[in-house]
Amino acid sequence: MSVTGPSGSGKTTFLNLAGLLETFEEGDYFLDGKNVKGLNDNQLSQMRNEKIGFIFQSFNLLPDLPLFDNVDVPLRYRGFNRKERKERIENALEIVGLSSRMQHLPTQLSGGQQQRVAIARAIAGEPCFLLADEPTGNLDSLMAQQVMDLLEDINSKGTTIIMVTHDDQLAKRAHRNIHIFDGQVSDLTNDSSDILIKKA
Amino acid sequence: MFSYNLQLAIKSLKDRPSLTLLMVAAIAIGLGLYMTVLTMATLSENVPLSYKSKNLYLIQLDNREVDAQEVDLQARMIDFTYKDTMNLMALDTSAKAQTFAWSTLGILNVEDQNIHPLRSRLAATTNDFFTMFDTPFLYGGYWSKEEDQNGASVIVLSKATNEYLFGGIDSVGKQLRIDIRVVTVVGVLDYWYLSQKFYDRSYSAARPDQAFLPSSFAFESDLPRNARFDCWSTETNSRQFRNSNLEQLQNSECAWITYWAEIEGESNLEDYKSTVNQYIESQKAFGRFPREVAKMNDYYTNINDQISYENGRNGMITYLAIVAYMFFAVCLVNAVSILLAKFMRRSKEVSLRRALGAKKWVIMYQHLLEVIIIGFMGGVVGVIVTYFGLQGMMRISLYSSDYTIMARDLLPYYQLNWAMIATAFLVAICSTIIVALYPIWRICNVSPASQLKAQ
Repeated sequence: MSVTGPSGSGKTTFLNLAGLLETFEEGDYFLDGKNVKGLNDNQLSQMRNEKIGFIFQSFNLLPDLPLFDNVDVPLRYRGFNRKERKERIENALEIVGLSSRMQHLPTQLSGGQQQRVAIARAIAGEPCFLLADEPTGNLDSLMAQQVMDLLEDINSKGTTIIMVTHDDQLAKRAHRNIHIFDGQVSDLTNDSSDILIKKA
Repeated sequence: MFSYNLQLAIKSLKDRPSLTLLMVAAIAIGLGLYMTVLTMATLSENVPLSYKSKNLYLIQLDNREVDAQEVDLQARMIDFTYKDTMNLMALDTSAKAQTFAWSTLGILNVEDQNIHPLRSRLAATTNDFFTMFDTPFLYGGYWSKEEDQNGASVIVLSKATNEYLFGGIDSVGKQLRIDIRVVTVVGVLDYWYLSQKFYDRSYSAARPDQAFLPSSFAFESDLPRNARFDCWSTETNSRQFRNSNLEQLQNSECAWITYWAEIEGESNLEDYKSTVNQYIESQKAFGRFPREVAKMNDYYTNINDQISYENGRNGMITYLAIVAYMFFAVCLVNAVSILLAKFMRRSKEVSLRRALGAKKWVIMYQHLLEVIIIGFMGGVVGVIVTYFGLQGMMRISLYSSDYTIMARDLLPYYQLNWAMIATAFLVAICSTIIVALYPIWRICNVSPASQLKAQ
């Protein structure tokens, strides 16, 4: 699913709420069947860790850690043992095509490769869905294409991806395109302008 | 999670080694100064002969004229006259033992022409001095009661004096001269560590006298009296008694001898006071002790009470301790400022970790470990700084001492012990944690959304 809209329309707020990085006062948010409203910080952290994978525009890799250790971060907080972590990291890096560069530092990779590492980090814990904030925003068209192909591949294997983007072409590649404008949410998937949610 | 957080903490310290060093140095220097003063203060508070200090009483009798000023402080009260010293020593009292001491000076000479004569500070006393104050002997022992009574020409040397005059050998039986009088060595003291030299009421960092003589011998030889004489107003020139007119001094009402009694238990103390009061009443018949008994400022003060009073008025060490503590606080504030800047610089990484599932307590745990390591390192370096600080203070003390005092004589008063080292680590780690709570709280409450959005 892609989320589009002009700057200031609320895309990032939506992403922060969906990613449990911000709390809300009105309404309800059911994540994997559980209402997250009113959960404490520890519970929200645990849900973030187990249910959500984050992909950021600027990758947000830890520059002084090798790829292996970068992918390892959420798994450490999940409490997996060493063997399971190793298997998951190797598998995730295999999926993104970087298994041969596990001990490289992020600075030794191209932008596209760094974003693939971020994707590996996001999928290593097998979350319910991935939240991608402009995943190709910092990449040239070729690399963006590769990253989108990778995301589509992951999506085709059953992982939901919610992607915020400015790029209409990329948005159209999603199965569903949600547009936010002036606080109103529209589903543009079938060239429809039906308003799904009206601002209260 | 412990090992992972420990790895992260160590890595963080290694990432910015100069900042880490700066923080450790700030803590170590502050701690070093603080612990140097604290160690000196603690050692100076040690009560000498603590196992029997409650039973060792300094006695002070008020034989002053009728219109003498009231004395409300034991430390300002006069000591004993020669007459009262001799009379009280002869009385049968409830004290386990009694002794007295006064200070004299003499030049010690040995036959060996290669050894330069040694100008010495000597204590004139009785044989019970050694049993009451448990002086440790290296060779020989103390003189007998008979020798006390006969004014025997004997001497007990301190270890340092024996090393200077006889090269440290067993010198018992050997002879030396005090000025022109020949005396025989009967004993050599081992190192006698006193946290404070109480027996002459100087309460200085302990430097026991260089030798000890029977008081009777010192009187017979008319050795100089190195004392302050508290005389009645009728005695106009008390300074004359330092080197002359001994007989006049012995018959005067000048007080100058410190008098000690070892008294066990309250009832014995009451009996002792009662005996002394009877003695005072008997002396009134001779026109002495003109003040009414009820108005007399007699004092029976044990070592515990004296040390506690002397420490209370030891303003220098208290002042130093306050300055050192404030300096330590300033160093800690500096360290914590660096820590705050370092932690906040890491906001983005912490936000990422929070987004990826790290709970607040895990972030706090990681940073707490880092602070503990910094505190520990500050403790290690601080103990080293303290060691050198104490060495420096000892050198200053040594420099201001006479040449028979050696470094090892002073070492016990400037020495770190395990208790102080443990205190140093405890102070370093606890104070670092306390002042680091704010930076840790700040970093734990960084909003991940705001940091991750800022690209």
